[in-house]
Amino acid sequence: MATTWEVVATEGIPDEPRAPDTGRTRGIHHAIAPLLAARGLPRWIFWTGAAITLLFVVLAVFAPQIAPYGFNQYAANGLRFPQQAAPSAAHWMGTTVVSEDVFSRVVFGARTSIEVVLLALAFSVIIGVPLGLVSGYFGGWLDRALVLFNDSIFAFPYLLLAIVIAFLLQNSVGGGVMTAAIAITVVYIPQYFRVVRNSVLSVREESYVEAGRALGARPRTVIRRYVFANVIQSVPVVASLNAADAILTLAGLSFLGIGMDPSVAAEWGYDISRGISDAQAGFWWTGLFPGIAVIMLVTGLTLVGEGLNDSYNPLLRRPNHRSYAMPGGQREATTAETAANPVIRVRDLRVWYATDRGPVRAVDGVSFEIGERETLGLVGESGCGKSTLGRGLLGLLPTGASRDGVVEFAGRNLVTASPAEMRKLRGPGIGLVFQEPMTRLDPLMRISDHFAEALRTHQPDITDAEVRRLSLEALGGVGIPPTRFRNYPYEFSGGMRQRIMIALALVFRPRFIVADEPTTALDVLVEAQILSIIADLKRNFDASLLLITHNLGIVAESCDRVAVMYAGRLVEQGTVEEIFNRPEHPYTQELLRSTISLSTRELHFIPGAPPDLVEPPTGCRFHPRCPWAMRVCADDAPIGTEVRPGHLAECWLHGPFENLTPAGRVPLEREEIGIADEA
Amino acid sequence: MSSSTGSLRRYLITRLLLVLPMVLILLTLVFMLMRVAPGNPILAALGGHLSPAQLAARERAAGYDRPLIVQYGAYLRQVFTGNLGTTLTDQRPVTQIIAQNGAATLELTVAAMFIALVVGIPLGMLAGRMRDTWVDASARLFGIVIYAAPVFFLGLLAQLLFGHILNWLPTSSESSVIIQANLTPHTNIPIIDAMIDGQWGDLPDLFAHLVLPAMTLGLVISGVVLRLVRVNVIQTMKGDYVEAARARGLKERTVVVRHAFRNALVPIITVTGLQAALLLSGAVLTEETFNWPGIGNQLIYYLEARDYIAVQGIITVFALAVVAISLVIDLLNAWIDPRVRY
Repeated sequence: MATTWEVVATEGIPDEPRAPDTGRTRGIHHAIAPLLAARGLPRWIFWTGAAITLLFVVLAVFAPQIAPYGFNQYAANGLRFPQQAAPSAAHWMGTTVVSEDVFSRVVFGARTSIEVVLLALAFSVIIGVPLGLVSGYFGGWLDRALVLFNDSIFAFPYLLLAIVIAFLLQNSVGGGVMTAAIAITVVYIPQYFRVVRNSVLSVREESYVEAGRALGARPRTVIRRYVFANVIQSVPVVASLNAADAILTLAGLSFLGIGMDPSVAAEWGYDISRGISDAQAGFWWTGLFPGIAVIMLVTGLTLVGEGLNDSYNPLLRRPNHRSYAMPGGQREATTAETAANPVIRVRDLRVWYATDRGPVRAVDGVSFEIGERETLGLVGESGCGKSTLGRGLLGLLPTGASRDGVVEFAGRNLVTASPAEMRKLRGPGIGLVFQEPMTRLDPLMRISDHFAEALRTHQPDITDAEVRRLSLEALGGVGIPPTRFRNYPYEFSGGMRQRIMIALALVFRPRFIVADEPTTALDVLVEAQILSIIADLKRNFDASLLLITHNLGIVAESCDRVAVMYAGRLVEQGTVEEIFNRPEHPYTQELLRSTISLSTRELHFIPGAPPDLVEPPTGCRFHPRCPWAMRVCADDAPIGTEVRPGHLAECWLHGPFENLTPAGRVPLEREEIGIADEA
Repeated sequence: MSSSTGSLRRYLITRLLLVLPMVLILLTLVFMLMRVAPGNPILAALGGHLSPAQLAARERAAGYDRPLIVQYGAYLRQVFTGNLGTTLTDQRPVTQIIAQNGAATLELTVAAMFIALVVGIPLGMLAGRMRDTWVDASARLFGIVIYAAPVFFLGLLAQLLFGHILNWLPTSSESSVIIQANLTPHTNIPIIDAMIDGQWGDLPDLFAHLVLPAMTLGLVISGVVLRLVRVNVIQTMKGDYVEAARARGLKERTVVVRHAFRNALVPIITVTGLQAALLLSGAVLTEETFNWPGIGNQLIYYLEARDYIAVQGIITVFALAVVAISLVIDLLNAWIDPRVRY
């Protein structure tokens, strides 16, 4: 049944060929590595399938030894077996209408099936793979013609094709294993052709092939390696699923009495067809056992394919859903009144994700406040936990993530709020604007439907006219004309979609909006437009804003205050003026030095990499990269200190000095930095 | 909007034009298959029944002594004028077979597809939604095992259980003989014919005959549908627009049903179209199992009679059906997903 695996497999074929590696042995290693690394269900699926398949292979190979009688033997020691005898000690699975032993027929049927499948697989790989390579490699009219031809064969009902070919071959050369195998082969060639051709094409367009070409590598060498690595991964998936299909096709052919000559070999499908007439007379066993054999073998092969697919396909790989209690003691939160009339007050918020290596502490004890109509910029390197923090406020975390601490908003703690309460707050209370606008609107819904759906959720009694008025007002505020109201998302550019996303957040007039890198995916001109819209928010909509970005220029332009995040902690916060003019934390200083402006003469970068959030450095998390690190920094976590009113820093250089001993102030030795750096 | 309907019309025309090459390729394939084989239809079907001189006369009359290319041209001309030839063994026009037995196949496949969708879509959604739970595991296992079962073996089991052990349902043919005799063929679909003539009393018998074949074929295909829906739901549930919908405070039910499920169903339409091949193949086997008087059943009959003309005609019709189904699916898709026609 040729088409089933199709979608599974096209999705299953890894989009990206494996990392650039060299040589064929490593290609093979790469191919089996995900399988060995697979855990849980995929592993279980694969090995169960492999065990079942192996059982049938053993039956096939040792059929004469295992089966008590020949497949068409109806007598032993001169005694004819009983006709249509029910299963008994002498004939475990009973006998047929012509006295054959059903068990022996089932065992020899395994041999026939395995023979036909192996032949068919060999033929289709031998013909399909080179055809695919040629087609993908040379392209042009040859490619087009081959694709068209293959698609046509593929579209045709596979069984009919096999029937016709088996019928014609049977009339000219006679039925048998070879006839059946050839008939089945024709059906499967297009699948190998397609897989191989597509992988050649995708590899040809890969950036590293381009890069290799630019570096003078011969593209052929590069392509050969990657195609090999790719094909060696996808062909086993296709082959095992095809083998399953081939068994079914063979059984179908034999059921119809085409292809296999029943006097030559035992075949399950043929036995089932006779079983149907037996069943009418009440002899259930002649068809039942061959049928179970087909189901088992096909299931086994399918499980092998699915297991391989699950292990290889990054899209299907499972996240780890174990949840952990957050280990380690509580850290004191840095607290200070920073906003007069806070709209949102966060205290010691922690968010962690479960992974195989342990919890990732993406946000690890963060405290801040945002006042009315205030914009707080949240800056930091990629992977420091900025986005997690933004989403953690709304409780929009993936499965496997947990959080604790306090998020005070509208008089309640959002961390302990029920899911229903949280849901009602999202939208009318807190809005969220995402980084990549292209994929955030439902492609099947008009813009108007997005608005209507959201408004109706929170105000069930709203009238159509009111929906329209509110939506157009919000859209007008971001410069989308009413004429576009009933358009679909695909009719808008990225910048316009981001405006729509902002309007979708603004239509509720929320008191607080989280904007998670709202301009990162957009070009500079559009960025400026979006930023000016955001700057207007507080003026026109009375909204407070948490603006997450890694662009310090945007912060300087649009924010009132800044919080600097490093490895899940807010290491410094204060007004834009304070932070930009008088940064106190060494990380902030380094961050500011790394920005590029018109006066930049040379690029500065912070040595070392952002720390591992599973096992963050002891003491101050920045100490391995800090130019001013002292001994105390490696041992004890710094305590937040108010350097100047409203300006907080978490750094031992700024105290509290009563916690510092003279020994602690000794600069940290260089080697230690090196070691910590590598860790 | 006017621009949308305009692009839909343009899409429609382009898509219709694409049908021609596909039809041509499939017809060529059928012709090649049937004529590349050694010997000729007359010899295969009637060899041994007629004298060599009679055979030669029949061959000349049928035009098998002409060059292949001329025969190919004649075949195409025939197909495009709606003439599929006359069977060699019983002198029946192939179009008559299609009209009489095609209706039965249509009835069976539509009912089976209906069952496949009704069973497969909800189970797939449930499994995708409750991923990695026992619900998911059982649904997946059901999908794999039901697909691993040959349709005729499921038919055998169904016949044993519902036909012989429980004795609830008929296991063979389209209707009881008496009811068949009472029906006037309008569409050749007995259920519809009975409705047209207001013979409501016949319907229970007709539906009872349809249940087992349609369930058998439908369940096999439901396994495929289930697996596809499940994978799609898992992917759309992770979709950016789904997260964005949650961020607007939509109810989880709305998020899942309107955003995740609806988007997960779009590819299902395409895939259902791809399943046309599976459906028609399965129909041939199901018809044979339940003695259902469809074209698959006729195909097997004429294969056994070695009637090349009948086989070629029936296969041609299957090829045309595949093209027609894929056309309908594409148009349906364009109607549902606005991006397609863009």
